Amino acid sequence: MHPVLRLVNRNLTISLNPGFLIWQVIFPLIYIFVAGFAYAPLIQDVPFGSKDLDYPAFLASGMIGFNIMNSTLISGILIWNDRRHGMFEQIMSGPFTRSHYILSNICTIGVIGLVSASLIAVVGYPVFFESVEFSFVTIPIIIFGAITGSVLFGSLASIISTRIRSSEGFNVIINTVFLFFAFVSTAFYPADGAPEPLRSAFYLNPLTYLVDVIRAGIFGTITEFVIIEMLILAAIASVLFIIASRLLTKLDF
Amino acid sequence: MSCIDVLHLSKSYGSVQAVNDIVLSVKSGSVFGFLGPNGAGKSTTIKLLTTLIRPSSGSLSILGIDAVMNPLQIRDKIGVVLQQPSYEPTLSVEKSLDKYGMMWNVPKSERKKRMEQLLKDFDLVEIRKKRNEDLSIGQRRRVQVAREFMHDMKLLFLDEPTVGLDPSARRKLLDYLKNKVKTGLTIFYTTHILSEAEYLCDEIAIIDKGKIITIDSPDSLKSRFGKEKTIKIHLTEKHPEISSLLFGIIGCKISFDAGTNIVIHSEHSELVLLKVLKILSENHVEIEDLSAVPTNLEEIFLNMMRENASST
Repeated sequence: MHPVLRLVNRNLTISLNPGFLIWQVIFPLIYIFVAGFAYAPLIQDVPFGSKDLDYPAFLASGMIGFNIMNSTLISGILIWNDRRHGMFEQIMSGPFTRSHYILSNICTIGVIGLVSASLIAVVGYPVFFESVEFSFVTIPIIIFGAITGSVLFGSLASIISTRIRSSEGFNVIINTVFLFFAFVSTAFYPADGAPEPLRSAFYLNPLTYLVDVIRAGIFGTITEFVIIEMLILAAIASVLFIIASRLLTKLDF
Repeated sequence: MSCIDVLHLSKSYGSVQAVNDIVLSVKSGSVFGFLGPNGAGKSTTIKLLTTLIRPSSGSLSILGIDAVMNPLQIRDKIGVVLQQPSYEPTLSVEKSLDKYGMMWNVPKSERKKRMEQLLKDFDLVEIRKKRNEDLSIGQRRRVQVAREFMHDMKLLFLDEPTVGLDPSARRKLLDYLKNKVKTGLTIFYTTHILSEAEYLCDEIAIIDKGKIITIDSPDSLKSRFGKEKTIKIHLTEKHPEISSLLFGIIGCKISFDAGTNIVIHSEHSELVLLKVLKILSENHVEIEDLSAVPTNLEEIFLNMMRENASST
């Protein structure tokens, strides 16, 4: 087996504990079925592209992007734990290179991101099936979103994990950054209704681009703007991936 | 045949010279001990030899492979137990062993066989289902060392592997290592516990301030540096005149404390002891206890450290 696959196997074994898996399903389910239906009378129709979506359908599709982001936290936790518990040095003294280690992390979050996106798509399907418009690009777009989003947020979590030594610092920074991403985005509510400074802030947030792309794939509303969002997403993911790889390459023993 | 060949190896961090021009050679199938005080450069040397860091200058050949040019080839053939703990907190002991074997590409059936054997050899059977984060420091250390034997290797680096182990576990580990050496394994072993080095090692290097002070077998080191012995005499009661009585015995260094303890350092301890006993007997001085401290590596080590400190 290739060294990268061996490391991916190891990463998945240590990351996927029952608690994490339950959290990954229960958390979005509560959002979709409790918050989604509770807010539905307040937010009746949400305009998206040429369509009007009901709020549960809008929220369920947003939860796919949100869950991809959440699951990629694993990348940062993996690196941080490996450094804290001496496994980074141990792995590097074995038959692996730093490139193997970096690639294995990217593959791990890619797999987790994809599985996570599929899981929420399946769970949320009863909520948004009426508005779904499948086309030949639906699945490729969702896969693009899942992989690009995983690389983007995984790289960001990796960057934070390489810079922070204390567990308190790591938790505070990760939670603050990801909380900002979650709520200053179009994952939970549309940008159109938000007051101006906040509305602009939504578009400084890569999660907004990710959920917009995924929604466009699911509801068949791929516009020029969505294509620009895809390009921006890919560009940010590439830049963050390069920075994360450089920082990991320079990590000292 | 040499397993490790190091020529004029140096490593510096800014202005700090962590390893300074060391030269050493380790024979295949032997245990090479690497001793030194804290901060002497032991761990940096291990990191250089295991290709974790690159040298500032010098050449380094491990198992006949150039370590600077082909680090991955070397890491594929060696085992490393680092000084600091390394573990995956959420995995159980048996899962840790199994996953480590998998990381080294050991086939599943072979992994199972090795894991069962190692659980027995390292007394881990009872804690096999326990998670690493719930283990004591000593148990975790045993898992860390056992884990390394999940894969095949020609050369094993052990950086203070017995830290946290109780005396029985420590002896068991040393015996286990001795048996492994009989099968052809070469071990590079660093420790603070000199009795371990004396028990296990075929050759010993002593490093201080990044430089190797000496390399020799434990026996040769003893005969070279350990001629001086220490005799301790405890008297039943105080004899203030004792220092004047023993004054004049040549070839030794005698020190007294509150009047009941006499400590004699001499390279001719047997002759000196006879003279001291004769004087004490003639003056009716009663002895409560007498001991001759055997020369061990610890004394040699401490002497060498003192000499090195005074010469620099």
